Amino acid sequence: MKAFGNIHPSVLMMYFLSVMLVSMFASNPIIQAEALFGGALFCLCIQKRGTALRDAGFYISLFLMVAVTNPLFSHNGKTPLFFLNGNPVTLEALLCGVSIAVMVIGVLLWCKCYSEIMTSDKFLYLFGRIIPKLSLVLSMALRFIPAYIRQSRRVSRAQKAMGLYSGKSISDRVRNRMRVLTAMISWSLENAMDVSASMKARGYGQKKRTDFSIFRFQRSDCALFAVCIVLLSVPLVGMAAGVTDFTYYPGISRIETSPAAVAVYAAFGALSVLPSVLEAKEAIIWKYYVSKI
Amino acid sequence: MEILRVEDLSFRYPKAEKPALSHIDFTVESGEFIVLCGPSGCGKTTLLRLLKKEVAPFGEKTGSIFFEGAPQESLTCAGEMGFVQQNPESQIVTDKVWHELAFGLENLGVPTDVIRRRVGEMASFFGIENWFRQKTDELSGGQKQLLNLASVMVMQPKLLILDEPTGQLDPIAASDFIATLQKLNRELGLTILLAEHRLEEVFPIADRIIMMEDGGILLNGEPRSIGPGLSKLDAAHHMSCALPSAVRIWQGLDIGGTCPLTVKEGREFLKRNYSGQTVTLPEPEYLHEEATVEMKNVWFRYERDLPDIMRGVSVKVYRGEIFSILGGNGAGKTTALCVVAGLLKAYRGKILINGKQVKDYKGNTLYRRCLAFLPQDPQTVFALDTVRADLSEMTEMMEIDKSEREKRLDEISARLGISHLLDRHPYDLSGGEQQKCALAKVLLSEPEILLLDEPTKGLDAYAKQNLRDTLRELKATGVTVLTVTHDVEFAAETADRCALFFDGEFISADTPRKFFAENNFYTTAANRMARELWKNAVTCEQVVECCKSVGGAK
Repeated sequence: MKAFGNIHPSVLMMYFLSVMLVSMFASNPIIQAEALFGGALFCLCIQKRGTALRDAGFYISLFLMVAVTNPLFSHNGKTPLFFLNGNPVTLEALLCGVSIAVMVIGVLLWCKCYSEIMTSDKFLYLFGRIIPKLSLVLSMALRFIPAYIRQSRRVSRAQKAMGLYSGKSISDRVRNRMRVLTAMISWSLENAMDVSASMKARGYGQKKRTDFSIFRFQRSDCALFAVCIVLLSVPLVGMAAGVTDFTYYPGISRIETSPAAVAVYAAFGALSVLPSVLEAKEAIIWKYYVSKI
Repeated sequence: MEILRVEDLSFRYPKAEKPALSHIDFTVESGEFIVLCGPSGCGKTTLLRLLKKEVAPFGEKTGSIFFEGAPQESLTCAGEMGFVQQNPESQIVTDKVWHELAFGLENLGVPTDVIRRRVGEMASFFGIENWFRQKTDELSGGQKQLLNLASVMVMQPKLLILDEPTGQLDPIAASDFIATLQKLNRELGLTILLAEHRLEEVFPIADRIIMMEDGGILLNGEPRSIGPGLSKLDAAHHMSCALPSAVRIWQGLDIGGTCPLTVKEGREFLKRNYSGQTVTLPEPEYLHEEATVEMKNVWFRYERDLPDIMRGVSVKVYRGEIFSILGGNGAGKTTALCVVAGLLKAYRGKILINGKQVKDYKGNTLYRRCLAFLPQDPQTVFALDTVRADLSEMTEMMEIDKSEREKRLDEISARLGISHLLDRHPYDLSGGEQQKCALAKVLLSEPEILLLDEPTKGLDAYAKQNLRDTLRELKATGVTVLTVTHDVEFAAETADRCALFFDGEFISADTPRKFFAENNFYTTAANRMARELWKNAVTCEQVVECCKSVGGAK
């Protein structure tokens, strides 16, 4: 995850938002399939093999569940396949379920990619521009939470080793939790004193702060931004003009194959595989460098 | 050129009977490396905090402080004077290393281009490049403290004030930190004012030592003059125990000559004055009772995919002995202790406490009149608002009469000398006091076996002596003590047997004399100085005794 992760956070944010929104609101199966394919491909690029395999199981079962649920509850459509408890299970509803499942899993995969790529510091950087105070507070919170968890584990262990309310009964457990909590409140206050001394010692609150970050908007970010805008505008215009409209009820509409629709499919397809292509390119360039050495 | 002048400074905390500082006078020249030492509670921290006006405590202050000739009050830039505190953990403000480095400069409103340059410069000076983009939470204690130092240094201070910065670090991280300070002083000409307990390493590199006692300055002079100065005040001054081993041996022998500071000088000093062949002192055979803690082929790992921390550990700890486990950082010493305490489960092997397997102790029976564990951070032991409440909660668990409870509580507080602390909040106590109170709390369960994790961390020499005496008293009452420690000197003085934990095993377990005499590097400073004369003299007292027994100087 070198190539795509190094892109400027603002471009990344725009990219993820546009892919997810388009795939959520375009009910067209081609676009949904493209989003799913792009998301899955990119997930494979940035994840370890083992976890990808484990995740696949989860996604497939989720897929089946969503796809099957829809026809059980929705009885619209004109082609009944069979009857269940006197209710028709229709082909249209089944296909609509599949489409929803594809969309949901596509968006989930993209969310997963988002959380891998858009780390907290990138998020903070973007929102720190808007509200600088908030970004500092968030950064401090992210610092505090793991420290708090670690300390509360230590306290809990120390209390257990003294044999205080460490039995297995519910009352013991509740009391133990309460004790750890009160101890942690004292600890938090104590910790806050040190942090505030450390902040004051480094001049906090004396002047108007500047906001430093390690991210810089480079020319490649600019180029990518332009590409994204172009690739995004095609499906947006297409969707607004109704080129890719698709309905399941009462009958399944035909998949649009007009030149305009094909252009939309192509543009969105390109957009959704863009990160994987960038990763692949980086990998190939790297191999090439290594071979030259 | 003088950079800091303190004139007749006195300070009293609100509602305190005694002043924390009285009539302090000293100056600091630009480029000096000054070490401030003294037992905890002598006013070092108060003094250092008063110098840095942003963190100055509230109270009655008289006298004046001048920074670069101007009164402290007129100082406007917080960056001029850097301040580093003891706890590496709680000083870090933000979640990423790069952000932490930039934090001070952001506060001063420095433009981002300048921040980028200065942060880059400092990160490479301190060797932070490799973890520059990491989360601050993932760093080791040593790295955290180095980050705290670096994030003060980016502000380009003229004077750096450090309040026991190595107190919470292991010896190797502490040496690294001290070496970095020395580099800053030598290469950048930075003026440093350092409060420190561990004098062995800072004594030789300091330009001047200021020794404090009870809120006043006891001695102020070159490192070499401190030993003689203290001897002149009182031949057996109680602060002597904090001095480096070379100085203590020189003081103990009392035969004049220049006072040595380092191991090398100490070795030459001994050679000059005493000569002869290397003698191995006779070592009586170690007598012991039956085993109380026994590990048989114990294996442990945290998770299935992680490497083994304990690989077939077998060891016996006998009744009534003090057993010290030494070993490097991250070797798994603490883990081993937690496995004995039943807090972690070994996946193979047996752990026998008084001949019964740990897992066979049902409910709380293991922690009642049997085994007690004092963790590294004594704060984790307290859960209530006063020390008394915390202690009485423990007595209530012991299923004894009400009158008996009170008696036990008073008895133990008297024994550990904490009676005057009972009504205070545990967090308001100093590190040494917290530890004593925590020890009192775990001792109330009347353990036969006491497990201690790094008991000397953050303690001054005086508190260490106290702890040693306490452990010996416990031993005399038949308690078995198992400690894990980095502190070689403490182990040598206190333990009946020492063992090295390395690569998941106890490599050797022997009496301190045999254990340390066999080691070349991993041994006490006193032993390194004297080993060519007395191979197995391990502590300063032993060396002095041996020298004296040979009879006078050559």
